[in-house]
This record gives sequence, structure tokens and C-alpha cells, in this order.
Amino acid sequence: MIKKTLLVAASALPVLAGSYFAFAAQQRPMTFFVTSVGMGKGADLGGLAGADAHCQQLATAVGAGNKTWHAYLSTQARPGQPAINARDRIGTGPWYNSKGQPISDTQSELHGDTLIEAQRGSNLFKQSALTEKGQVVNGFGDMPNTHDMLTGSQADGRAYTDNTDHTCNNWTSSTTGTAQLGHSDRSGGGNTSWNSAHASRGCSQADLVATGGAGLFYCFAIN
Amino acid sequence: MTRTPLLVAASAICVMTGSLFAYAQLPPDPNAKPNPKMNFFVTSVGGGHGGNLGGLAGADKHCQDLATAAGVGNHTWHAYLSTQARPGQPAINARDRIGSGPWYNFKGDMIAQDQAHLHGDTIELARMGNNINKVTNLTEKGQVVPGLYDLQAPNDRDEDYMAAHPASNRHETLTGSMPDGRAFTDNQDHTCNNWTSEAKGNSENLRQNTGAAVQVGMSDRNGGGNGSWNSAHSTTGCGQADLRRTHGVGLYYCFAVN
Repeated sequence: MIKKTLLVAASALPVLAGSYFAFAAQQRPMTFFVTSVGMGKGADLGGLAGADAHCQQLATAVGAGNKTWHAYLSTQARPGQPAINARDRIGTGPWYNSKGQPISDTQSELHGDTLIEAQRGSNLFKQSALTEKGQVVNGFGDMPNTHDMLTGSQADGRAYTDNTDHTCNNWTSSTTGTAQLGHSDRSGGGNTSWNSAHASRGCSQADLVATGGAGLFYCFAIN
Repeated sequence: MTRTPLLVAASAICVMTGSLFAYAQLPPDPNAKPNPKMNFFVTSVGGGHGGNLGGLAGADKHCQDLATAAGVGNHTWHAYLSTQARPGQPAINARDRIGSGPWYNFKGDMIAQDQAHLHGDTIELARMGNNINKVTNLTEKGQVVPGLYDLQAPNDRDEDYMAAHPASNRHETLTGSMPDGRAFTDNQDHTCNNWTSEAKGNSENLRQNTGAAVQVGMSDRNGGGNGSWNSAHSTTGCGQADLRRTHGVGLYYCFAVN
């Protein structure tokens, strides 16, 4: 009797119920994942187009290619090219991981657009930020730690507006520059930011590995 | 087949060491010593009576006792708990009970540099968050508190299972507080009647329960719909069994105020 009640509660309240996830096998389609592998050339992703194609390819390999996938990456303004904000590339939610568990219901919750939302955080954390294959990404305290996520974004999900490189030259450099990184486990680096924890050491694969990364990034389905 | 040995083990632990240690956690490194800067920890054990901690005074004494046993009793320790207003008694905010920081864990890692960092007082600070996570959120003995999915099992919220598996999930941390660290101002119970009640709620559904309850945070920043360290969601009641229902055993945060 108790168990049945809990199951009902879990189904009705996935967001509130938290620990009940284990008992709530949802059938909602995946609309969010962390790439299980990087592209191998550091932060040179072949631009946004290359990164989007990587998302699409990984999704297709697990049977989720029927959706349009975008990488959660910002680009900075260049002469004749306005900046692109990562948050504007991912639709409006709600987003679910490969197990159908909620990541966030809204843009506002995902990015903490109000003070209380920002203080609470979204449902994106180590045990929910799964790869397209449903794997937990190694985090702070694991060996090797691969929690650094390429985002090139400020904490509000928008592009930087200063003249410093935060996107490895808009995801085309594996040599000079830096990229802003988030933490898929929201742990380490002195904060709990999923999308803007710290800058990378450089743009090469070795530079990304050096601070706990593997050139992974977030992918969201926009439809 | 496996159940009987587990029950025997659990019983043996209870008989040998008393119920206090039925909820003991990951074994500490016997050689580990608290960093001299340590002024923050998660209690390694709860009081054993659900949300009834003997009021704030009882909870503070529990912090002080655990700290003393760990060799850091030279500080004055307070529990990070709010109380709600009562006739003639103003509310008390957890954040106002813990000094001004910076705060360090058992290993000397800074978990927050000041109140604004700990609680995210501006939207920029709130989005970034503090340095509390599963790896830094250590007990007074330097143990990691088991979190979401650790030793997951269908019966991982049963008393005997949790007693026999001290490394199973028990991440729900009592605070009675809103995300900003302040007391709730509505008429619902968020503090187990100011830490004196073991009453059941009136529903086993979190959202429908309007009775006895307590606001909890996630010590591992995982689960609860948001991973908040201090204000993720409510409970279905205040008894030890009610806390277990959502993977809690009545642990809470302690801070040194001097």
C-alpha cells in the first residue's frame, strides 16, 4: 500500500520528489544529454555547425535522431556577426535526460532567472546529467574527472561581451585562446555552476584534460 | 538468502553499539585529523528521533558533542536550523546563527567565504553557487555523506537496510529554511514544530502533506528537483520513519560561530 502510494506520488511529482526517481521509470523522450565523447580536437568543434552535427550524430546512434539537436554553446560577436547565446539555441523546455528524468521545466529555472530559482538551482546535477547512453559523467573526486563542459557562456547562458576569448575563437581553435566551462556535476572550482564555473587553460585537447575535461558539451533537442 | 544475514548484521550492530550508531556512515580514516580551520560539518549521526531535536538548544548541543568527540570542541557550534514565529517568539533564521564565515570543512576546504556566497544573496552569486558538494560536505569525522543512488535498492529506505548499509543514500539534511537561509513565514510546519515534534504528516505525498513536516536540503547536491543544499523540498512527516521515506536520517549542518 505504501509503495503504491509512493509510486503514484513519484509519477505525479517527479520534480519535487527527488529521491523517488529511482521508482519512477518515465517514458518521456530524451531531450537533453552530455556528449559521451568529445570531438578529439580540443575546443575546435568545427564551429557551431560541427558541434550541432556531433550532437545529432550521437543522438542518432541511440535512436533519438528524430529530433533536432543543438549544442549548448555561445559564440562571441565578430565584425558583421552578432553574438549567439547558448540559451537561445535550445528551445523552451521542458528537458529530460536519457532516463526520462527532468532536467528543467523552463529556461528560467535552468538559468536561474529569478533570485530564488538561482539559489535553488535546476535538476541538472551529477546523477541526472547523463550521456546519450545513460552514463553518469565522471566528476569531482572520480578518476579521470571529465566534468568540464564547454559552454563559452556566462552563468545566465549568454555570450560574453568583452574582448577576451571565451569560446576558443567561436569553437574553431585547438591552439590559442580559452573557453568558459561548466561542471556537469556542479562540483569543484569553488562554485556549483553547471554552465560557467571557470575558464579553460587553453584550447587543445591536453589543455581541456588538464583541468578535468575531455571536450564534452551539453546537447538539447529543440523540438 | 541475503536478507537474513543483513538483518543479523543490523541487529548485531544495534546491540553492540546502540541505536546511535545504527546510522553511522562511511568508516572514517582513523589517521585523519580535522584541519585547524574546520568550522563546518554535517552531523555524522542524527538525534534518532526524527525532527524532534530537543529544540534549537538540543540541536546545538548535538553539534557541540559531536565536535568535542572529533577534537574541535574548542569552538562554539550551532546547528544550521531556522525556527518559525510563535506568539511572543519571533522567528529565528538559520543564517543568523552561524557567524560570518569563511567556513571550512574537515579537510580545510573552503565551502563559502561569507554569507552572500553561502546563500547566493545576489542573482550572480546565486547562479554560481557556493562550494558545497558531495565531496566537500564532510561530517565531523571527515566522512562523505552517502547520496543519491548510493547502494540503491528497492528497500533502501527501510530501517534495517539503512542500518546495515551505512553507505546507502541518506542525503536529506534538516534545515527548516528557505533557500536564502531564512525561516518560512507561512502557517505551514517547516520545522517539525521548531524541532520538537515526531508527528506524522497527513499524507505520504509530499505536495499533499499539510501536516507535520520539515524543509530539507541535499547534502550531495543531487536530487530533490534542484540539488539545493539547504532548501530542496519538504518531508511527509517528522518521525524517523517519515524522514527515511525520502532517504533521510535526520542529519543537519553545524557551523562554528567563533
